[in-house]
Amino acid sequence: MLCVVALVALGPVLGLASWASAANYSPTPYQTGRVNSGTPNSTSVVRNAKTGAIVSYGDSAITYTAPSPALSELGKSLFLENCASCHGTQANGVPANGTSGAYPNLVGLGPATIDFWVESGRMPAADPRAVQANRRTPRLNQTQALAIAAWVNSLSPSYPDIPSPNLTSANVSEGAALFALNCAACHTIEGDGDALAYGTFAPSLRNIPAYQVVEAIRTGPANMPRFTGNLSDYQVADIVKYVTTEIQHPQNIGGFGLGGLGPVAEGFVGLLLGVGLLALVGFWVGERQ
Amino acid sequence: MSQIVSTKRSQREASGPYGKIGHSLNELDDRLGLAKGGRTFMDKIFPDHWSFMLGEIALYSFVVLLATGVFLTLYYIPSQDLVTYTGSYLPLDGQRVTEAFASTVNLSFAVRAGLLMRQMHHWACDIFVGSIVLHMGRVFFTGAFRKPRELNWTIGTTLLILAIVNGFLGYSLPDDLVSGTGIRIAYSIILSIPLVGTYVAFFLFGGNFPGTDIIPRFFILHVLIIPLVILLLVGAHMGLLVRQKHTQFPGKGKTEHNVVGSPMFPVFMAKTTGFMFVVSGAIALLGAFAQINPIWQFGPYTASRISYAVQPDWYMGFLDGALRIFPAWSFHSFGYTIPLEVTIPAIIFPGILFNAVMAWPAIERHFTKDNEMHNLLDRPSNRPKRTAAGVSVAVLLSMLFIASSTDVIANFLHVSLNSVLWAMRILCVVTPFIAYPLTYKICREMQAFAGAGKRKTTNVVTRTPQGEYVATPAPVYVDDEHDELEAMPVPVFVHEPEPAAVDAGVRRVAR
Repeated sequence: MLCVVALVALGPVLGLASWASAANYSPTPYQTGRVNSGTPNSTSVVRNAKTGAIVSYGDSAITYTAPSPALSELGKSLFLENCASCHGTQANGVPANGTSGAYPNLVGLGPATIDFWVESGRMPAADPRAVQANRRTPRLNQTQALAIAAWVNSLSPSYPDIPSPNLTSANVSEGAALFALNCAACHTIEGDGDALAYGTFAPSLRNIPAYQVVEAIRTGPANMPRFTGNLSDYQVADIVKYVTTEIQHPQNIGGFGLGGLGPVAEGFVGLLLGVGLLALVGFWVGERQ
Repeated sequence: MSQIVSTKRSQREASGPYGKIGHSLNELDDRLGLAKGGRTFMDKIFPDHWSFMLGEIALYSFVVLLATGVFLTLYYIPSQDLVTYTGSYLPLDGQRVTEAFASTVNLSFAVRAGLLMRQMHHWACDIFVGSIVLHMGRVFFTGAFRKPRELNWTIGTTLLILAIVNGFLGYSLPDDLVSGTGIRIAYSIILSIPLVGTYVAFFLFGGNFPGTDIIPRFFILHVLIIPLVILLLVGAHMGLLVRQKHTQFPGKGKTEHNVVGSPMFPVFMAKTTGFMFVVSGAIALLGAFAQINPIWQFGPYTASRISYAVQPDWYMGFLDGALRIFPAWSFHSFGYTIPLEVTIPAIIFPGILFNAVMAWPAIERHFTKDNEMHNLLDRPSNRPKRTAAGVSVAVLLSMLFIASSTDVIANFLHVSLNSVLWAMRILCVVTPFIAYPLTYKICREMQAFAGAGKRKTTNVVTRTPQGEYVATPAPVYVDDEHDELEAMPVPVFVHEPEPAAVDAGVRRVAR
């Protein structure tokens, strides 16, 4: 009898204890306590039944749209014209007279990858042997890029599709925290980008449109890691909002921003403009023999 | 009834030319005896050469540092407790940050003139250390550190070290992402000290990194202990300067036993006060218009975050550069790691450097056997070995300084970071060895060339009625008279043996 009472009493006590410990939980500095409803492991994620690839994260922060299949005829001709000399006529990375494996196989990469590389001007490549392609003025316009993406995707349909972030409800503060945690280690905290090892570099984020930030995060171009498992679409939208507002239009409240170079530029200004100018004043005041 | 006798003094006061001010000063003098010391002080002679103003930049930027620093302590909270930032800067709104970070952001945005004060404080620091280095270069290359001024050289070097350390501590106080990385590096450097590293690091940080003690500890060091030591040493530095009198360049009427220049009052005082306003004005302008250390763009530090491409402030650059380019030599044996890649560039190298700088007067005296008193300065070219050694070290430090921005250089020039790294490694080793003989040779050439360091003289070309052209040197203008620094041969000091000692002491003499 006593055992039963004890067992019955234990339930609420344990519940209270777990509630109390949850109440004591304070978020670590890089979490703002917001619920991540759309984390990739949550039930709202829609996966492709056959391949298991993530089709949608199930939230409204980013809409993924497949390029219209009607464009794929145009895409094929554009591909043969601009891309096939390296990637091969079947987009499998085997050029007509080359060896397999010399160039990336594009089949099954998903429309967002193709779109990112073409629309950021990196493809068609200026120098196919360069360690890393540079952002340039795109050679093909948006429709042409989508057309190529549509044709390549038609060879073996895959994801992610072309993203369109909805930034109205994105949280710029959470974006700043996530940026510092995930992006700053290469792109620098001010988003200027910098040189990495052996000729590779993290490009500047100062001139990248919002949807391309999503494409880069979700597809991981070149050396960049592909962020699918740890960032929900809400979080990606937060980062995108931070990048397109604070990184691209930094609040230089303290005056002239010195190019975001930090202590390097500050040292030059302090030594040349500060000490140098004051030494000149001393030269003017003092005797010069 | 005795008559009140009018004394000479009261008569003079009654008719004195300075009226009531003179009267009250006289009253003070009667009680405190200020006139004699005041006269000596006001008549103190300071040489006028412009290069003697460099130390004053340091002095007056230190005054600005003290004034702005006091303002900042009113609003800064030295605590690593976590709070939720809710302020005017939206990208940080709702983030969990330390109180140190939150209060620094708040004093920048919510306190009137707070950001101006913070930026002035930071710029003043950059200028403080920069002018100390320039001043030190002037003292070194002109030989002003020689006997009897070795002690002041040591004090000055200590001041430089303290300025660098305090600059680093102050840079760390906002607890932002960039400075937190700096503390992280400092912690690792302390860990790399052989045998006691872990104990020292745990003692300083109150446990493992980052802990919650380091910001309050840095704060008390930064605002109380080190500034107090700096203040006392600045007092000693200037007391010694007054006591030993200022050095001067050789010239007309200038000898080892006099000082030629302007008196403290009114000439030097007007000059130096004006210069103080120029220094503080320049710092205020920089603080108002040039943004420095925008911590709100960096965000708070947490141990899990890192930003690429962070550099320390410029005066720590040579250490950062040394750490960056040093080869990755570390050994693991018997359960211990010996991180020579950190110990050598960050502990042993600066240790040797600053000890050598401190000991330089003794080192030089050892080689020159020069035990004379020196109040006249050298022209750098007349002491080619010293100048070459100084330039060689300066080149090494500059190369290390440049090496602290390998990533910026690689990104700017679009070359591989690894190429820049290797280029800097080679340059750091090679350039000092090129700089020494090159400087030595240039100095010798300047000595040999009689016109070096002299002003050009005007030649007046006249045409005679016969059509002949004659060039005659123009007469020197009255105000333009000057003395040339004659190239002097390097003296050879022969160490003479002491004369045989006579028996000293008290002797009993029979009378």
